[in-house]
Amino acid sequence: MQDTPSNTPRERIAKLSRALDRIVDRRIKVMEVCGTHTVSIFRQGLRSLLPASLELVSGPGCPVCVTDQAEIDAAVSLARMEGITVATYGDMIKVPGSGTSLLEERSRGMDVRVVTSADQALSLARNCRDRTVVLIAVGFETTAPATASVILDARSEGLENFLVLDLHKSVPPALKALASDPLVKLDAFLLPGHVSVITGLTPYRFLPEEHGIACAVAGFEAEEIMIGLLETARQVKTGRLAVASLYSRAVRPEGNPAARAVIEKVFTYADAPWRGLGIIPSSGYVIREEFAQFDALKRLDIPLSAVPPPEGCLCGEVLRGLIEPPSCPLFGCECTPNHPVGPCMVSTEGSCAAFLKFHQGGDNPWED
Amino acid sequence: MGGLTIGHGAGGRLTEELISLILDRFRKTPLADREDCALLPGGLAVTIDGYTVSPLSFQGGDIGKLSVCGSANDLAVRGARPLFLALGVIAEEGFPLEDLLVYMESASLICDSMDIALVTGDSKVVPRGQADELFLTTCAIGKIEREPVLGVDNLKHGDSILVTCPPGMHGAAIAAARYGLKVHGLASDCAPLWPMVEKVLPLKGLRCMRDCTRGGLGTVLCEWAEASGLGIEIEEEKVPRDEPSLSVCELLGFDPLHMAGEGCAAVAVSAEDAEKAVAILRQHPSGEMASIIGKVTEKHPRLVGIHTISGGTRLVDKPVGELLPRIC
Repeated sequence: MQDTPSNTPRERIAKLSRALDRIVDRRIKVMEVCGTHTVSIFRQGLRSLLPASLELVSGPGCPVCVTDQAEIDAAVSLARMEGITVATYGDMIKVPGSGTSLLEERSRGMDVRVVTSADQALSLARNCRDRTVVLIAVGFETTAPATASVILDARSEGLENFLVLDLHKSVPPALKALASDPLVKLDAFLLPGHVSVITGLTPYRFLPEEHGIACAVAGFEAEEIMIGLLETARQVKTGRLAVASLYSRAVRPEGNPAARAVIEKVFTYADAPWRGLGIIPSSGYVIREEFAQFDALKRLDIPLSAVPPPEGCLCGEVLRGLIEPPSCPLFGCECTPNHPVGPCMVSTEGSCAAFLKFHQGGDNPWED
Repeated sequence: MGGLTIGHGAGGRLTEELISLILDRFRKTPLADREDCALLPGGLAVTIDGYTVSPLSFQGGDIGKLSVCGSANDLAVRGARPLFLALGVIAEEGFPLEDLLVYMESASLICDSMDIALVTGDSKVVPRGQADELFLTTCAIGKIEREPVLGVDNLKHGDSILVTCPPGMHGAAIAAARYGLKVHGLASDCAPLWPMVEKVLPLKGLRCMRDCTRGGLGTVLCEWAEASGLGIEIEEEKVPRDEPSLSVCELLGFDPLHMAGEGCAAVAVSAEDAEKAVAILRQHPSGEMASIIGKVTEKHPRLVGIHTISGGTRLVDKPVGELLPRIC
């Protein structure tokens, strides 16, 4: 469709912004769960278009941010082992563990490679048989099927030099933890688009039904985000709560059963540590016993020992939406993208990094 | 102080810190004004750059072409005609001679196109594993053909900001090659700028130009705002778009404003000469998509803002460290 002067994206968004203004008649707190939403909201400057009484907080939906320090330490100790090549997604490489990061290990000569898919890690293993390739597998329902599928491939090919440090996590249990936290007090969730492509809508039903929280799944374009926010505001105002999908071009109500079947085949659930949130019951995807030969923790006997969070770091409060990043005493001083202390400053999708990058800290300086 | 990381070479904030530390060691640096090249007494301009691109050949160019364009462009954006070139070659033991000559041939073609003479050089072969295939260094010398000289000090409130082509095309082509993405129509913008920018030099209102290499257009604008103490506002919908590179950026989670170009210049010009400058730039194939993207303002000193297509506003900052693809 051709954009006519009266129908440009800017005008459509301005219209949505006015509609939000009319609907929001009290303070409401909406959490955007997904890191890609966080960045899209900042990059498009959408915060400047929201009513002042709509408080938008960022949730635990950046896989890098919620990876526990002990898990990073395990990745670092893998990188230091003789004969090991670590394959990692890009933004994991900078995350500091209690000592160093994978980036620092790479600059010291350890073999750390950035990959953009699990498949690339598998190819690395196929192409260098004299080394053991360990994929640092992080992410939610979006990346877990790809990890499961390369484990199945590795088994059918009989690859013995391919291992996985499995740190996959599941989103719905984390939302349950947030919904049950008496301090958090959310009115609505803007649910993640990509995760919902896999999970479908059913796993979120408990949010409106048991916790009285409005829910909308949204895509990542500016307009889709604004429509998602409008839907949550409508639900809050009318009290007719549900899990609405406004991302129907990608999300089917039943999700993607084939991808879930692959996850089910390779992984089972276990309690898992989330950085800043603590242990969340049944929120981790762990490799089933049947595939233990690909489990780096078991094969290489790497311990996962709990470590205290860095002193003064309030990433936990940020990830629960209790404070905005600038309220953390380390924000922008001790903790910067160059020298991150906490995980929310590391990933480009972390809410602290996004806040600093697009607003330089406090309020958006471009709001006149 | 710790070891150097890839981020120290990526052109953003970390690079800035590293350059300051290096300059601090030297007592005499009067001409190091942090523009793209130095202006020497006698109307000469000089610049030097190292080329370590991987892969050596990419859609739209190769290391040979890049090594001449890169240094010649650093001269061109200060109004200096590139005349002489010094070339350093560091090759890894076992690197095919045939390939080396192919890259030298493509460097030579670019020299010919601008009448640049190769005047001196150096070649070293290092043991296998001590260099990644082939590194080139070029030092370019040119003659300043613009009075008064171009530089960020000329920037004034109300000036227009132009860009000569879609930002980030070289960076996107390299990232796609590095991360194994095949994108139809994707190519680096690697090209010599002199034949195009030479034509805008007579414009009285021309203030300064910058080659948008490492760190991209965003970094150039931030450096201009910081150095001039003025603010810059750009309109996202005016920025020329190259769909193939935008799709790479979207997939990997990169901001096109932070991606390198190698034939892309930011141009600051007085408001009255802005349309003239666009018309002149558009006559050249590399400048077909040139456009006015924003203006210099007294509001928001030292900051760069973008009015997004959605109608929102946000800051533009420099990238920090290495650009890394995101997880999902």
